[in-house]
This record gives sequence, C-alpha cells and structure tokens, in this order.
Amino acid sequence: MSSNIKTVQTFAGDTISYYDEIIGSGTMKDVYFTTDKKHVVAFYRDPLEQNALERLKMITGAYHKGIFEEKNGNYWNNLFCWPTDIVFDGKLHGVVLPKYHQQYFFEHGSINNDFLAIKNREKEGKWFSSPTNRFSRLDKREWGDWKNYLRIGLLVSRAVRRMHAAGLAHSDLSYKNVLISPSSGNACVIDVDGLVVPDKFYPDVVGTPDFIAPEVVATTHLSKEDEKKVLPSRLTDRHALAVLIYQYLFLRHPLRGKKIHDMDDPERDELLIMGEKALFIEHPLDNSNTTNPSLARPADKFWLDTRKLPYTVAGPYLSKLFKEAFVDGLHHPQKRPTANDWEQALIKTIDLIQPCSNKECLSQWYVFDNSKKPICPFCDTPYKGQLPVINLYSERGEGRFIPDDHRLMIYKNQSIFPWHVDRNITPNERLAPKDSSRVGYCIFHDNHWLFVNEKLTQLFDATEAEEKKKIAIGDTVELKDGLKLLVKYNHSARLLLVQLV
Amino acid sequence: MNRKLPVYLLIDSSGSMNGEPIISVNEGLRALLSALRQDPYALETVMLSVITFDRDVKEILPLTAVEDVQLDDIVPPISGPTHLGEALEYLIARYHTDINRKSKSSKGDFSPMLFVMTDGKPSDLQLFNEKAQEIKQLNFASIIGCVAGPKAKKEELLKFADPVVSLESNDSSSFSAFFKWVSDSITAGSRSGGLEVGGANKLPPPPAEINIVI
Repeated sequence: MSSNIKTVQTFAGDTISYYDEIIGSGTMKDVYFTTDKKHVVAFYRDPLEQNALERLKMITGAYHKGIFEEKNGNYWNNLFCWPTDIVFDGKLHGVVLPKYHQQYFFEHGSINNDFLAIKNREKEGKWFSSPTNRFSRLDKREWGDWKNYLRIGLLVSRAVRRMHAAGLAHSDLSYKNVLISPSSGNACVIDVDGLVVPDKFYPDVVGTPDFIAPEVVATTHLSKEDEKKVLPSRLTDRHALAVLIYQYLFLRHPLRGKKIHDMDDPERDELLIMGEKALFIEHPLDNSNTTNPSLARPADKFWLDTRKLPYTVAGPYLSKLFKEAFVDGLHHPQKRPTANDWEQALIKTIDLIQPCSNKECLSQWYVFDNSKKPICPFCDTPYKGQLPVINLYSERGEGRFIPDDHRLMIYKNQSIFPWHVDRNITPNERLAPKDSSRVGYCIFHDNHWLFVNEKLTQLFDATEAEEKKKIAIGDTVELKDGLKLLVKYNHSARLLLVQLV
Repeated sequence: MNRKLPVYLLIDSSGSMNGEPIISVNEGLRALLSALRQDPYALETVMLSVITFDRDVKEILPLTAVEDVQLDDIVPPISGPTHLGEALEYLIARYHTDINRKSKSSKGDFSPMLFVMTDGKPSDLQLFNEKAQEIKQLNFASIIGCVAGPKAKKEELLKFADPVVSLESNDSSSFSAFFKWVSDSITAGSRSGGLEVGGANKLPPPPAEINIVI
C-alpha cells in the first residue's frame, strides 16, 4: 500500500496507525485499514453528539467486558464484530474494530468468470436471499446448502440472544448488518454501535426496509414526541430475526404476497404491506396475500410457490415459531418468539435433517417429514433404503423415561455428541471442551446401519429390560428397529429408541 | 412480486460535449453500470434507461434491467443545438408507456428517478418551459439535475429538478465523482423500497467536488 500512514490516540491510551485510504464507506462511517492488518478504524463522517459518544463508551467498555470477558467469552469473537476502542483525531471520532474474516468476502463471485465483478467484495445477505441472485448470478461454489443456512440462522439467533440477555437491542438487524458465509456456514453480526439500551440510549434509525417491525412502519409518520410512535427494541429485533431466518431458508419475504392495498401509490402500498396491513403470505386462515408464482421470474417460481414449498418443510420446531412470529405475533410483539426460542428450535431441527441423494439438488439437505416415505421437498427425490431415526427419552425418576421431543436422523458418518446422550448439555457457547467432541458415529456397512461407540463408558443394549448388554468402547451395535440403547453420562441417563423407516 | 425502480438518465450529447466531457460521461456511465451490477438490491429492482439529446433526441437504452444492459458510447455531432425541451417531451411519453402503475394482477413500479445532465442551456426554450412544468406534475421520486462546466445554466434545470448540482469543471474527475454519487443515489433508492423511514430514503450527500446550487 502506497498511501500515507496516520496515527491517532485511542481512549484506552493506545496509538493506532492506519493507512490514509478509505477502503469502504457505510451510511455513517468511512473505514480504514490499520497497519497491523488485523483491525480497521471507522471514522464517523459527522461529529458525534454527547449521547452517542456516551453510548460508544459503554459499548467498547462495560458491554464489551460483560460479553467478551465472561467464561468462554472468546466464543463471541466469531459471532460479533464488536468495537473495542474509540479514537479521536481532533475533529472526528471513530471506533476500532476487528477486521472481517476472509470468509465474508466472495472467493469466486458470480458466474461466467465473475461477470458482475464481485470477487473479494463483501458477501451481503441480499445476494443469497433471492433465488435469482443466489442461483442465477452467483458461482455455484458460493451458494451454500440448506444445512449451512440452518447453521447461519442458529448463529445469528445465538448472537441476538446474547445481546438481548445483556439488555441490549441491535435495532437494525438486516442483510446489511449480518455478514454471512453460506459456503462455510458462518455468520457475524456487525454495526453494533447503534444498539439500543431501553430508557438510556435510544435508536438512531428505525431499521432497514423489509426488516422493520409492522408497528414501527405503521408509526414512522408520527413525530418523535408522539407517545404512539414505536421505536426499535428487543421486540422489533425479534421480528427482524424471524424475517432473516425465513428469508435465508425460503428465499422469499414473509409479507410480500399478491395483495395490493393502494393501486395508485406504490410507496403508500409498501408502507401498508410492511406496516398496518401486514399479512403473512402463508397465513393459514387468510389467503388473500398468498404469492403468485406465475408472475415471477423463472428462477423465483419454485421458491415463491408456498403450496409446493410451505414453511412447514422446515419441520415441527421451526414451523411453530414461524407461526408465532408471522401469524400470532406479527401485530402482537409480545407473542413473537425470542432469539433463544429460535436457537433451541434450530438446534433440534439440525438433528432432523438428512442429505438428499440428488447431487443436483439446490438444497442438498432437508428436514425429515415424519412420513414413512420421505421425499426431498426441494427436488422431489425420494429417500432410498432404510432410514434409522433415534428418539430420545430422558430418565425422570428411577427407571421412568419421558420423551424429550427430540429426534436424531441417522445418515452416513452422522456423529453422536454428548448433548444427544445427556439432556443437561446444550451445544452453545457454554459447552465444556470435553463435551464438544463426538462420543460415537454411525456408518452403513454391508447393508447394515451400525453405531460405533468411541467414548461412552456406560452404554448398554437395553432392548431386553431384564438382560442389559454392555457395549464397550470400540464395539459396534447394529441399529435395528426397536433397539433400545441406554446411556449413562455424567449423572443422567438417556434412552435412545431406534426406529427404521 | 418484485417492484421495479425505473431510472432515467437524460444526457446532453450536443456538439459542445465533444472531447474530454463526452469521454468522461461515457466512462462515468460504464462505472455507474458496474457499480449497480455489484449491488444485489439494484440487480433485483433497477431498470435503467439512457436518453441523449442534441439536435435529435435518441433513446440509446430503453428501460432495461441492469444485468442485461449493453451500452454503446455516446458520440455527439460536431455542432448543433441542445434540444432539452424535446428530450423532456420524449421522456414524458416514455413515462406514460413504461411505468407499470395500475394493474389488478401485478404490483406497480416504484416512482421513477430522473437524472438530467447538461453543459449548456436548452435551445428550445419555449417547449422546455412547458415540459418542465409538465414533468413536475408527474410522480417522480426524485429529479436530480447536473450542470457541467462554465457555460452551463443552473437556473433552467432548477425549474424542475431538485437538487441541481454543479460541476465547476467538466473534467473526468468531477464527472466520475458525479456518477459515483448517481449510483449511490440509485442504490439507496433501490434499498429503501419506497419507505420514507427516518431518512433512510434520503439521497446520500454529494461528494465534495460538487456544489448543490440550492
């Protein structure tokens, strides 16, 4: 880099040097690389008001400490791009941020030798959220499969859950402020400098169109002083989160159907669609805002067809939440699922997926539909062969096993983790290192499904209650219909009941 | 289901634009196009049209999705008048045929954006005055004027455009700054989805090289 190097003092007392060349501009900030190549400095173009500066001090100070210096706080470094320090160059303020990870920049870009010239540019969520953008413009290697989008939804939910637990609202969750890498299945929440603390720091912006909650859209015309005006909060974050997850998984907006509220004024029509008159395109009792795939572009037709691809293909746990978010809670913010609800539902849903055998399938993975003859909803390829499903039961009281409402689909090389054998373990940032690696795996060998025990010291075949057989480490057991495996792990016991579909 | 955002560029191609100005404009248009292609929102919504005016009015690019646009260089005649009035008249006709407004089955387009760039003053002043008034009655989301170089008259564009920006010199660097601003404005328009929310729909500030006349 040939540009000049400038230095600036941080509030924490460090000296930061950066290249005096703008590498990117947001709506409020200009961004520069630091000379250590690991950070960026983002200067606000306009002088900061006292309140905004106070907020930044809290974000880089107490809030940063609370989240990143807790036990396992390092985990959050991958999920947030959080400002760590403030700088002042005599005129303008800025923040010091970690540089985005390389995976958030296009490696291959668009088709036809990158005809759109987007290689090395940021992977903004919008690229992946319309079928035409994702499948007709991007290089295949950038697409990512359905499993990765579930994981992205999970990581974003987890990040939002952590912010909300700290009493903070993001206030502007959108494609722009959540970096995603579908090819590697990762996500990172950015632009947290505008976050909202109830009764202390108020939102600067109402959000990004398509993600603004209906009650906020419906009251944008009111003045700031008006009591009826609704501002972004944790409740509106919940709406934005639901829209993000729906959009990543189904590549359509949950409120953009065929209904027209104002024929003459499209701008007013948009306000009604997203605000006062917002109606879920898949509302079970009111189909007036359903989609009209026949008018869509070729690549969009399939994804817009809610009869062919209803939200229920996401399985029971997510379906319940989509209904709560877009039917029950669309106009009743208190009824919207929390970020924690999404995180838990996504964890369980990821155990329900199985690979599609069609190599050309756009999704590659789908959720088991609980039927005897599973078919991939994305390409209609039926599942071939026997499909083992493990139903999980936990011991509550001596010898009494109650269903956990949690099943695990088995596919080749599927791993069994500690959270499958102990209901007290949840796979999240608090997971102990000893619990983060698998305890066994499944293989398909000689026409039989086998479970290989790698780490379970107390695993028994309990199919015959009177005659438990111990399965030692290194041993295998065939997954037959009706097999009951009993696992004692830590201080709890779990029963794994095998079904063959 | 996708609403379109029509964007019209009216560009002066009169004889006085020959040389560096038209080279800069052609470069600016190419830069504008590649910037829009790198934006996933613009790719989904923006339809671009380019109309040039000198003695004749030519629609060198009918309203086209940015992905499909093929642009040829603008080649001005050696000399001749600047028929901006006629260009506005043509644009009004296009507006009425291009813009999908009322339809029972599909959603109407967003209100279009219009950018007008000239380095002189209209030669057909009477027609221009008449059409300038007519344009104001139409439902444009924004009309942005740009006057380039020392001879350009801001007053005329101010009759229907707001803001009007002024490029002090018509060299390539001020043109490229202007076209960068145009693409930022279009991008902002395609992202806002027509929602006037807390300034989200406001145009980005023009770059330092450009003066806003009012």
